[in-house]
Amino acid sequence: MADEAKSPSNQLCRGLARLLAISDEDVVAAMRTIPGFLDITPGDFRELYEFAYAHAVSRLTHRLLAHQVMVRAVVTVAPATPLTEVAATMARAAVSGVVVVVEGRPVGVVSERDFLTRLGGGEVESLMAIIAGAFGGTGCAVGSLKEERAEEIMSAPVVTVEEAQPLCAVADLFATHHINRVVVVDGHGQLAGILTRHDLVRAIFGSAEVI
Amino acid sequence: MRLADYLAKMRPTTTSPPRVKLAEIGWSWLGAFLGIGAVAIVEYHFLAGTDYVMVIGSFGASAVLIYGAIKSPLAQPRNVLGGHVVSALVGVASYQLLHGWMWVACAVAVATAIAVMHALRCLHPPGGATALIAVIGGAKIHALGYLYALIPAGLGALVMLIIAVLVNNLAPTRRYPEYWW
Repeated sequence: MADEAKSPSNQLCRGLARLLAISDEDVVAAMRTIPGFLDITPGDFRELYEFAYAHAVSRLTHRLLAHQVMVRAVVTVAPATPLTEVAATMARAAVSGVVVVVEGRPVGVVSERDFLTRLGGGEVESLMAIIAGAFGGTGCAVGSLKEERAEEIMSAPVVTVEEAQPLCAVADLFATHHINRVVVVDGHGQLAGILTRHDLVRAIFGSAEVI
Repeated sequence: MRLADYLAKMRPTTTSPPRVKLAEIGWSWLGAFLGIGAVAIVEYHFLAGTDYVMVIGSFGASAVLIYGAIKSPLAQPRNVLGGHVVSALVGVASYQLLHGWMWVACAVAVATAIAVMHALRCLHPPGGATALIAVIGGAKIHALGYLYALIPAGLGALVMLIIAVLVNNLAPTRRYPEYWW
């Protein structure tokens, strides 16, 4: 039980349960709408509800598998793709990350954060810091990246999950690696899709907009 | 456990449930009137002058549950019927084995009735009274022996239960039972 409670996916379940926390007032209001005497205190009902909700989230995240939630249309580039082209591709597809593939096998990920890290000289630089630097300096902060290629700034090794992994395992990866997307691979290590935090939330709540 | 922690457990954790609507109070009254009326009329008009008994005090407590708190697990048929019969058997056995030490017979009857009702998933609070009455109910009850479990305990509970099913379901906002067994 103690080990189970420490795992990130359980933290996720309890976090989501807290998100939908109800108060005694909510329970009393609900009790008023049900005619007849209910043989339970509002506090006991609240506790029951919270456990039941956490259990439902846990059931959902164990039953839903990565391949059911992932996005199959992945934007990919090659290791040798120039960063100018990578940036143009990301802008055109309106994505914040692309997968670097060699013969269908993912070898890295280039995200907005990798661009910012490169511009910051290894530290993650904020966009505003780069803009401020550009105003005070040469006027073109990204000029230095023009000659570089995807493989020089990509995050590697790539964090992957297999298609049949449950969503709770994906949530664990997000939490332990502090990342926003994982690459989904098939049984042969070939790229199958991509799964972001956005997809995870949408899968659990039906729509990402609720939170 | 530290004393402060122990005392902190006595602080309330929640609010008390709301009052039920007036119509609900009316249905509770009607159910109890008809249910207790049915067993009492048998007692005073048909069994008067016989050795049999139809009304025992614990039925008043059952009426609170099966006409006043009908959603409670404690008020479902399994609990009402099972609780009275099982507790009656425990009570009669306690009296017959331990009547030499009445206070022990009382304590054993109620404590064991609760334990057995728990084990058989038929906990019904009035069952505790049914077990106690088997011990302290006097000569007429003692003379019934184990028949006490069938009449009045089993039969009386059954009559009250039938009336609960008939009357509670007349109310538009009520549905009874939640489960039979």
